[in-house]
Amino acid sequence: MTMAVTAGRTAINPRAAVLAYLAVSGIVYLLMMLLGLTMRLAQAQWIDAPPNFFYVVMTMHGAGMVGIAGLSSAAVMWHFVRRYVPVSTAVFLTNLVFFLIGAVFILGAGFIGGFGAAWTFLFPLPAHSGGLWSVNAAASYLIGLLFIGVGFLLLHLDIARGILSTYGGLGAALGVKQAFGLAPGEEGPPPAVTASTMALIANILGILVGAAVLVISLVNLYVPSFTFNALAAKNLIYYFGHTFINVTIYMAVIAVYEILPVYTHRKWKTNWAFYLAWVLSTVFVLTVYTHHLLMDFAMPTWTLVAGQVISWLSGLPVLLVTAFGTLTVVYRSGLRWNPAAALVFLGVAGWAIGVIPAIADGTIAVNSVMHNTQWVPGHFHTYLLLGMVAMVLGFMTYLTNPQPRYGFAWLGYWLYLVGGVIFVIAFLLAGAASVPRRYAVHVAQWLPYDRMGSIGAAVAIAGVLILVARFFVGIRTAASVQDPT
Amino acid sequence: MIQDVVWSVSIILMGCLALVFIWVATGASVAIANYGPVIDTAYRARVWLFGLALAVLIGTNYKTVGELPYINTLPKLPAAAVQPAQVVAEQWLWTITPSTFKVGQTAEFYVTSKDVNHGFALYDPDFRIVAETQAMPGYTNVLRYTFTEPGTYQVLCLEYCGVAHHAMKAEIKVTDH
Repeated sequence: MTMAVTAGRTAINPRAAVLAYLAVSGIVYLLMMLLGLTMRLAQAQWIDAPPNFFYVVMTMHGAGMVGIAGLSSAAVMWHFVRRYVPVSTAVFLTNLVFFLIGAVFILGAGFIGGFGAAWTFLFPLPAHSGGLWSVNAAASYLIGLLFIGVGFLLLHLDIARGILSTYGGLGAALGVKQAFGLAPGEEGPPPAVTASTMALIANILGILVGAAVLVISLVNLYVPSFTFNALAAKNLIYYFGHTFINVTIYMAVIAVYEILPVYTHRKWKTNWAFYLAWVLSTVFVLTVYTHHLLMDFAMPTWTLVAGQVISWLSGLPVLLVTAFGTLTVVYRSGLRWNPAAALVFLGVAGWAIGVIPAIADGTIAVNSVMHNTQWVPGHFHTYLLLGMVAMVLGFMTYLTNPQPRYGFAWLGYWLYLVGGVIFVIAFLLAGAASVPRRYAVHVAQWLPYDRMGSIGAAVAIAGVLILVARFFVGIRTAASVQDPT
Repeated sequence: MIQDVVWSVSIILMGCLALVFIWVATGASVAIANYGPVIDTAYRARVWLFGLALAVLIGTNYKTVGELPYINTLPKLPAAAVQPAQVVAEQWLWTITPSTFKVGQTAEFYVTSKDVNHGFALYDPDFRIVAETQAMPGYTNVLRYTFTEPGTYQVLCLEYCGVAHHAMKAEIKVTDH
């Protein structure tokens, strides 16, 4: 990372700051993937892992992956949105510092304190450890999440400041007028601004809700007589958790809008349908979380029916606008494929394809027999591992310009793709066979799925290792060059 | 079973969508001179796709929303036609009373928890899930299920509840007579 000191102030190279985010992301993704592989190998009975260790690993994998998904996709968003609105590099780096502090608290809670209540910390499980972790370990985990949330809150508020100073309002930056035909689509904000606006609206609300339930859980740890309604807490947790992880895809997809046109020499067409899709996606992301509660029969029925219908509706903008737009931008464009373009293209494919099993699981009749089976990690790994992560890896490859070593990057790409497909199909097959998710110990008849998943995970990780290694090889020169655009 | 239908439909649709991406990717290197008419055709096709997607969405939701598992949406049954059963979850065991039923009998499980969130998942003798609900402290969820085949059903916990989550199991016997 390069820094120049001017007039007593530290002027930080914004591009270097983005690369710092991506360097952390590359390392954390690999470490978290290794934790994931550890779980699959343990379930496959190819390694021995005691249940208490397994559940710590599971908790760290979940929290680490959700956190790094947020961090890496925020790097994509910030890199591109700063072309259009003024943002602060200091605030951007402050988020990274908060993230790292939070990570220390969380890792300490897990690997020193033995905290293993899953990343979703469903109230009141953190306070019911069965003697396996202390109150302080649980508190360390919750405080770690709070640090990470505060960092993201600052980042989104700073981007909101920049957007408001340029566009005058969030509605204008989202393209609301264009969405409803009140202004020409061609005159709307750039896609990076629209996506960043959606992300900040959703994440600011989600993080505030998350902070509330984290504080409630913290107080409950030290004052057990202070209790809270478990169903209300579950609502708050899933509102925050669903929003945060869902928004990572909407931040990462900015890489697709910005990178594919560079290689296809076609402008991303922003018409009324594009803006309407983003306006609707904003509403859907903020209202769809009840599809996580379909088996909570005590919820008002209308909220669960709404969760199902909105789950289905939220697939439409993804499939008919982003996926369709990607296909039309690439179709017979004369594009000479390179790993960066291929990765962001794969990212859209993974996202769109993952929508299908996700919608299935969001249907109450299906959820009644597939809730919390391995179908769930099957669908979310499809649109996260092969969707959002592919977009981030594409962005990393794009920034570090791998032309002299395309062959090396292509090897990484194919290993990642083939391994990833095997890995997610193993989960989906197991889900259809009623294999539960989050089980440390599997019965004999589930082992074939676990072994297939282990092999897929190992191959995918080898691919990601190559892509991340390639990123580090190019990082020094990338910090000092201009964007390929 | 519904899981098999969901798997088949999902994998076919996922495969079709993947083929579209592969088709576009493999043809991308050949540039067309006149992109305008192509994009116009694509946008017209999108209108049809939107109509098709909307029809599938409305049809499927109309059908499935009419078949909800929630007790307040199910027809009331005479008391004699239902066998109630109390289900209490706690780390890490199930207490199910009674735990023996007859084929053809409709059970209503009153499911609650003493401590944290648990998931009540009923596995049939072939070890496939046939019904689920959450077990929550402070709430009682009522799950209705009619047993259609004899044998040993298993109850597994499907909401992560701590270190012995995977060992939290119980059995329900269903007899012919």
